[in-house]
Amino acid sequence: MVICIVALVVFSVLGIFSMRWREIAKEAFDCVYRMATFRPCITKLDQRIKSRLTAKLMKRAPALARFTYRYFKALSWIFTIVFFATMFYSAYGIYNLVVYGSCEPGSPTCGIDQAMSVISCYETQIVYGIILVLFIVFLYFGYRYLKFKE
Amino acid sequence: MLDAEKLREDFPLLRESKVIYFDNACTTQKPKQVVDAIVEYYTKYAACAGRSLHKLATKTTEEFEKAREKVAKFINAKKSKEIVWTKNTTEAINLVANSFKFEKGDKVLTTNLEHSSGLLPWQRLAKKGVISLDFVLCNKEGELSIEDFEDKIDEKTKLVSVIFASNVTGTVSPLKEIIKIAHENGALVLADGAQAAPHFPVDVRKLDLDFMGFSAHKMVGPTGIGCLYGKEDLLRELSPFILGGETIKDADLRSYEPEDIPHRLEGGIQNYAGAIGFGAAVDYLTKIGMKNIEDYEKELAKLLIEGLLEVPNLALIGPKDWRKKNALVSFNIKGIEPQDLAIMLDENNIAVRSGMHCAYPFHKFIGENKGSVRASLYFYNTKEEIGIFIEKLKEIAKTLG
Repeated sequence: MVICIVALVVFSVLGIFSMRWREIAKEAFDCVYRMATFRPCITKLDQRIKSRLTAKLMKRAPALARFTYRYFKALSWIFTIVFFATMFYSAYGIYNLVVYGSCEPGSPTCGIDQAMSVISCYETQIVYGIILVLFIVFLYFGYRYLKFKE
Repeated sequence: MLDAEKLREDFPLLRESKVIYFDNACTTQKPKQVVDAIVEYYTKYAACAGRSLHKLATKTTEEFEKAREKVAKFINAKKSKEIVWTKNTTEAINLVANSFKFEKGDKVLTTNLEHSSGLLPWQRLAKKGVISLDFVLCNKEGELSIEDFEDKIDEKTKLVSVIFASNVTGTVSPLKEIIKIAHENGALVLADGAQAAPHFPVDVRKLDLDFMGFSAHKMVGPTGIGCLYGKEDLLRELSPFILGGETIKDADLRSYEPEDIPHRLEGGIQNYAGAIGFGAAVDYLTKIGMKNIEDYEKELAKLLIEGLLEVPNLALIGPKDWRKKNALVSFNIKGIEPQDLAIMLDENNIAVRSGMHCAYPFHKFIGENKGSVRASLYFYNTKEEIGIFIEKLKEIAKTLG
């Protein structure tokens, strides 16, 4: 179930470009919404991700397929935590870059500020753009879901 | 002998895609002949049957009634009027359940092997207090015992509703014996023929069967059309629960005179294209020969079951003897959920069904609460396909089981 949270974010972005991903994002949204309202997820999206992933891995690395299948829940949690931690630190870095002109102000090890300081205004626009698109996608699915519920 | 490779040429989907279609108990693929018959109706003579008198309507009526004759002949019914069009088997059973004149205290006997459509209509009537419902329980392999029917059928039993061939175990019920016992006790028998009529010759007169429902889409016909077979006098006894166009001869504001059977039981505009497609499907199967289909499917069943028994950690549901089964097998592999297995097979272009197969009580009875995977074959499946299926299962079982 927890993998649906990652799926929602990933497929919402991919859904901007293709209808196919939009459908999956919708399912992920439904799953997350049900989780948020303390109801069990009924979309079976996690099960499909798990089985399809296992089947694909089985063709190339059976041992990895077995490991993925057996420990999918634990892997989902790890993946979700890593995903959000990465998102958080990326957002924090981008915020610093936008506000202070460096992804880690005061740190001599941060290399990005040297190179990025010139183009920081473009970065700012890109970040705002991504946030805006994500917000629109979220609103769109929210609206569709509420309309469907009605 | 049946040449599956040659017959596959008639099926556009099988010809053009690489899918191994083993979900025939759910629905079958459609040959070009059936699709053409439907297209012909829609493009050349689409009209209403039995109402208007223009040429198109006359042609529609002719083809519609011809289809009824074909279906009647297919199961050796005495007259074409013994065939009532329905949406599917479910509607056929519901038609009997809702139209049969039960009296308080009447007993309906059914089994724990039934599909939901053969169970829920009776449950509802029992809850309403119209009937009392009793069950014959199969053994863990899904086989029904005649002795149990002898014990359960009594003078209060009005109807025995039984699945002809199971959609989970593939076993065939001893219908002839059940009918004999039922008739000796004054009870009637309704058979769910959804998994029987498509796979082996069914002779309703030889069986002395009272009612039987079956669907076109499980026998290379279109979806949305099926029929209820009933003996003429018994169909006349049914009290229609859907009334409307074509069900009456005459009406005034407070009363009506019903039409003769089967039309009195077919309210409103019918699925003409579906019925005509059903007729074409019956023609197609008749041309191949139901005995040929049965023999070929037995060969497939043998190969399939023998192969499955070699798969590690695989638990077969139902008898292991292929002689007792149709070419339909449900199973589970230890350590893998049925849905997971079905998705993994789908990733390898093998279409099977997973879940409860609308047979919740039976799955609970055998302790398979998450359901099972079902591979159901038809005459267009090949031995090579079974080989690929078995190899893939072995690979999955060895890797994950």
